[in-house]
Amino acid sequence: MPKIIIDGQEIECRPGIPVLQAALEAGMDIPHYCYHPGLKIVASCRLCLMEMKMPHPKTKEMAWAPKLFPSCQTPAKDGMEVRFDSDAVRANVRHVMEYYLLNHPLDCPVCDKAGECYLQDYTEDHGSAASRMVDEKQKNPKKDIGPQTLLYSDRCVLCSRCVRFCDEISGTSELRVINRGSRGEIDVFPGRPLDNALQGNVVELCPVGALLDKEFLFRQRVWTLKTTKSISPVDSRGQSIYIDYNEEGIHRIRPRFNEKVNEWWISDEARFGWKHVHRDDRLNQPRVRGSDGLVPQRWEELPEFLRKRLADAAKQVSDSVAVVLSPMMSCEEAWLLAKAVRDVAPQAVLFHGFVPVVGEDRTFPKGFVVKAEKCPNRRGIETICEHLGGNTANWGDFLGMASSGKIKAAYVVGGYPNEWLTSEAVAAIGQVEFLVVQDLFPTALTEHAAVEIPSVSWTEREGMFMNCDGLLQEFERALNPLEGTKADGQFFFELAGNVGLFRAKKVREEMAAALPVFADVFIPQELPEHAH
Amino acid sequence: MKSILYDKTTQAIENTLRNPLVLIVAALVLGAAALVPLWMLFPYYRWLLSDPFWFPIIVMGVMLKVILTSTAVCILAERKLASFTQDRHGPNRVGFWGLLQPMADGLKFFLKEDITPANVDKPIFMLAPVLALITALIGFAIIPWAGDVHWPWMPEGEVVRTQVASLNIGILYMLAVGSLGVYGIVLGGYASNNKYSFFGGMRATAQMISYELPLGLALLSVLLVSGTVRPELIVDTQATTGMWYVFYQPIAFFIVLVCTFAEANRTPFDLAEAEQELVGGFHTEYSSMKFAMFFLGEYAHIVTGSAIMVALFFGGWHCWGLTSAADTSWIGMLIKLNVYFAKVAAFVLFFMLIRWTIPRFRFDQLMRICWLGLVPLGIALLAGTAILVALGWQHNLWASLGMNLVLLVLTLIYTARSTVPVTGRQTDLPEIQVRPA
Amino acid sequence: MRDEDVIVLEEPQLSAAERLYLPQILDGVKTTLRHTFSVKNRKQVVRQYPEDTRQGRGELRLANYRGVHRLNKDPDGRVACVACFMCSTACPAHCIHIEAGESPWPDREKYPVKFDIDELRCIYCGMCEEACPVDAIELTPNYELVGLTRAEMIFDKEKLLQVYEETKDVKPRKNPPVTDYGLTGGQSKDVAQPNVERKV
Repeated sequence: MPKIIIDGQEIECRPGIPVLQAALEAGMDIPHYCYHPGLKIVASCRLCLMEMKMPHPKTKEMAWAPKLFPSCQTPAKDGMEVRFDSDAVRANVRHVMEYYLLNHPLDCPVCDKAGECYLQDYTEDHGSAASRMVDEKQKNPKKDIGPQTLLYSDRCVLCSRCVRFCDEISGTSELRVINRGSRGEIDVFPGRPLDNALQGNVVELCPVGALLDKEFLFRQRVWTLKTTKSISPVDSRGQSIYIDYNEEGIHRIRPRFNEKVNEWWISDEARFGWKHVHRDDRLNQPRVRGSDGLVPQRWEELPEFLRKRLADAAKQVSDSVAVVLSPMMSCEEAWLLAKAVRDVAPQAVLFHGFVPVVGEDRTFPKGFVVKAEKCPNRRGIETICEHLGGNTANWGDFLGMASSGKIKAAYVVGGYPNEWLTSEAVAAIGQVEFLVVQDLFPTALTEHAAVEIPSVSWTEREGMFMNCDGLLQEFERALNPLEGTKADGQFFFELAGNVGLFRAKKVREEMAAALPVFADVFIPQELPEHAH
Repeated sequence: MKSILYDKTTQAIENTLRNPLVLIVAALVLGAAALVPLWMLFPYYRWLLSDPFWFPIIVMGVMLKVILTSTAVCILAERKLASFTQDRHGPNRVGFWGLLQPMADGLKFFLKEDITPANVDKPIFMLAPVLALITALIGFAIIPWAGDVHWPWMPEGEVVRTQVASLNIGILYMLAVGSLGVYGIVLGGYASNNKYSFFGGMRATAQMISYELPLGLALLSVLLVSGTVRPELIVDTQATTGMWYVFYQPIAFFIVLVCTFAEANRTPFDLAEAEQELVGGFHTEYSSMKFAMFFLGEYAHIVTGSAIMVALFFGGWHCWGLTSAADTSWIGMLIKLNVYFAKVAAFVLFFMLIRWTIPRFRFDQLMRICWLGLVPLGIALLAGTAILVALGWQHNLWASLGMNLVLLVLTLIYTARSTVPVTGRQTDLPEIQVRPA
Repeated sequence: MRDEDVIVLEEPQLSAAERLYLPQILDGVKTTLRHTFSVKNRKQVVRQYPEDTRQGRGELRLANYRGVHRLNKDPDGRVACVACFMCSTACPAHCIHIEAGESPWPDREKYPVKFDIDELRCIYCGMCEEACPVDAIELTPNYELVGLTRAEMIFDKEKLLQVYEETKDVKPRKNPPVTDYGLTGGQSKDVAQPNVERKV
C-alpha cells in the first residue's frame, strides 16, 4: 500500500490510483470535472491541479516544483508529497472557475441541474460573484441529440465525460467534440442520434446542466426529492439504483455505485423501468368471487378466509394445492408465502413462477451486461424452494398439472410490469377450482380467479433479491403502498398467522438461521463524499 | 376584490334589524301575541294565583324563565361593559345597539358541533354541565322576591308569598346548594380526561372549600343580628325597621361579597379557567350546548349570589318611600319585584366592573387572602357580634358600627405591621444543612 | 458576566394601604369607570369596518402591506413567472404548488403550466416575494380575502393574474421586468439595464 502525503497529512491509498482519487477517498473536496474513475483520464478540465515535491534539477533536493500537475493524471507513488492547500493551487482554481463562467448562462433558476450541479457548488466555494467579461456571451444552441436526451450547449464545460462514456462503456461513439476553442461544443453525427441501451448515464455523468433527460425535464427541482437505495427489478443482474421521489411519486431513477454488478452505470431499462408503478389501472382492492362476480373484500378478513379455503382443498387430495412463487417477489415474501401455505396444506407443491426472457444477454465493451432474463429473483426463489423441499416443480410443470385438472387450489403470484400470460397458460390455469391471483394489474386470470389480491411494486416494499450470480442484495421501500393496497410482505406475514408489522430484517434473520446463504447480504461500497 | 360575505343582501338585513323602530314594533307584536291570550284567559286560571300550592310553582316557572333570559342579557351586558372599559364599541351589529346579540349567541351555541372527545368518562362528562347549571338555579327557591301579595279576589286578610319555598333552614339551604355547585366544575374537569381540565377542577375544589369558611362565618354574624335563618323574615325585619343589615355589619357584607366572587368563579378568582395556564380550564373539552350550560351556570351563579346578598344585606325588595311590608296589593308587588331586580342588576354590573378591573390572583395569593385574611377577620367579627348579642345591643346601630370600626382599625394595624412580602417571595431561606457522607 | 453587570433590585415595600388592597381596587375601579363613560375615546380609537376602511382614511401603507398574492405579467402580457420553484422552496407553509412546462415562447425556457397558492395555508410572510428571481410573485395590499369554500381559496394561475390586473394601478410592479431569462442567457447586465436592446 503506497503512502503519500497530501497537505502534510499522510494517507494510505490503493496502489495504482491517481492522486486525485486517493485524495477523494481520504475525504478531501478537490474540484474536478473531467476525471471519472470509470473512464479514461484526459486531464482536460484543469481544476484538480496540485503542487508536487520533486528533486531540484541542480541541487537534487526535494522541493515544490514551480509548475502545477494534474492530480487526476499523476499516479500515487509511495513517499510522494503533494499539496492542494496552497496559494498557487487556489489561484488556479479561481482562475479556471472564472474561465468556465465566461460563457455560462446565469439561468440556474430554470436549469434542472441546479442543486446537484458542480459548477454551482464550485462557484460557491471558489468562484467570484461578479464576472469581468465585457463582451457578449457565446450562446450555443440547445440541441435535441437523441430520443431521451437534450443538450444545452451553452451550459457545457467540455469535460468530455459523455464522449468518453460513449466511446468506452457503450462502445457506440455517438458523441464528439466539434469545433475548437471557445466555439467547441458537443454534438452527434448527422443522422446518428444518441440512442443506445446505456445512454441515460451521460445525464448523471455531466457535472453541469448540459445533458438533460427529457423525461425528467422541468418535472421537479432536485431539492424537493427524497432518495432511497434500491435494486432495479428489470433484469436478473439486480442493478443498484437510487429512487428519487416525493409525495407525488417517483420522478427518476439514478445509478448507484456497486462494484460487483453495475459499477457506476445502469441500463436505460432500469432507468425508465418505473413507469408501471404509476399506471392508472393498478389493482387497488382485494376482491373475492361471490354469486355476482368479484366483490371487494376487507383486508382484515382475507388471511383467515384463505387459510380455511386452502386447508379445505388440501383435505381432498394431499398434493392438490399449488403455490406459484413469482421471480418478481423478494426472498422474504416468497419465504413467508411458502411457509404460510405449507402451514395449512403441508403437501402443497411449490412452483417456480414464469421467467420472462427477452432476446439475448448483451455485453458492452468494458463488461457491462444487460441480461435477457427480465426478473430479479429467479435464483432466490429456486434457493428457497430447494431448501423447503417437498414437492417443487417449475412453471411448465405447473401448467401441465393445472390443465390435467390435478390442482384443486392454486395461489398464483404475478407482479410483472408487462403482460406475461400466454393464452395457453390462461386456459390451463383456468382449470383450477380455487384460484388466488395476486398481481399488479388486471390480467386474463381475473375472470377465473376466486380471489384477486393486489400486489404492490418493488418501490413500495422492502426485501432482498438474489441476482443471476447468486449475489444477495437488499432494497428499501420508497413509496407508501398505493391507497387500498397492502405491501405483499405484510400480507404474507399476516397470512402466516403473525400479528403486527412486517419487517424484512426480522424475517431475514429467521431465514438466515434456517439457510446460511441468506445471512450473506452484499452491501456495495459508498462512493467518497466529494467524488462524482 | 369584492367582499363576498358582505354583500348587499346581508347589509340590507343587518340594517333592517338595526333600526330601533323595527325592534320596538317586533317586541310589541310578540309581546301582544303572548300577553293577549294570557289576559283573555285570566278569569279561568286566576284561582291558581291565589292558591297557596300553585302560586309558588307559577313563581318558580316565571323566575326560571326570567333568570335564564337574564343570563343571556348578562352576557351581552358583560361584553358591552368589557368593550366600554377597553374603549371599544362591543357587539353592535345584530340589532339596534347589538341588542339581538344574545339571540345570535344562542343560535350559534345550538349550531356548533357537539364534540364528545374519545376516552372521556361519558356519563360524568354529560352530567357535569347539567349539575353546574342546576345547582346555580335551585338556589333561587328561597329568594323572597316581592314579599306578600293579596289578590283582589282573595278573601280579606289572606295573602300568598312570592317565594318558591319558605324553608325553615333558609340560609343553610343556600350554603348547601352553593357547596354542591363545585361538583359540576370538578366532575367536568375530571371526566374530560385532560390534565388541564383536571387542574382546573382541582383548583376549583380547593378554592370553594376554602372560601366557604369565611362565607359561613360572615353569614353567621348576620344571622346573629337577625335571629332567624328564614330569608323572608330577614327581609321583612329590614323592611319594617328600614335599617338594612349592611349598616349593622359592613365587614360581614364585604366578606360575603368576596366569597361570592370566589364561589361564582369570577375574576379575580377564576383560577379554575385560567386561560393562560390551563387552556380553558375545566371546560376545555366542552363545546356547543354543554359549554353553554357551564356558561349559563356561571351567570346564574352570579345572579343567585347577588340575590342572596340583596336579601341579606340590602333589604330585599325594600326601598324607602316606595315599598312597605304593609302594602300587599299586586301593584305593590310589581314595584317590589322591580326594586329587587334593580338591586340585583346593580350587583351584577358591579361583578362585571370588577372583572375588567382586577387581574387574576395567583393561587398562593388566593389561599393567603382566604386563610390569613378573611378567616381571622370572620372569626373576630363573629366573636364581636356574639358579644353584642350577649349585651343585647345587636340592634343598636352605633354599637355595631363601633364594633366594625374597631375591627377595621385592628386589621389596618395588622396589615401595616405585617412583613410578609406581598409577592410571596421567600427572602430569608434557612441554609441547607448537608449531612457529611 | 462581570459583577457590575448584575443589578440587584430590591422588592418594593408596600404601604399599609397597598397591603390592604382595597384602596388599590377602588383606584382600579375609578380607571375602569373613566374609560367606560368616555364616549369620545371610543369613537376615536375604533373604526367601524367594513363601512369605514383603512383605505378610506388613507392610512394604509399600500406598498408595504402583505395581502393576497398576485402573479405579475411582463410588458407583453405573458405571465412573468419562469417556474423556477424558488417561491415554493422558500415557502415555510408549503402553500405554493407549481407545475412547470416548456414555454411556448422562444425567449423563455420554462413557464408555469399550473400555479396554485393555497391562501388559507399561506401565512403572508412574503418570503416568496423575496425568493422570486424575476419579481413575478408579489403580495398586494388587498386584505379582504374571503371565500365560502376551501376550494375557492386555492388561487390558480388565472386568478392570480387577475389579481395583478386589479391591483397593478395601486401597486405597480416593483422592479423593471426581465423577459429573456432562459435561453438567451439572462446576463446580469440585462437585469440592471432592462431597456437595452437585446439580440436574441
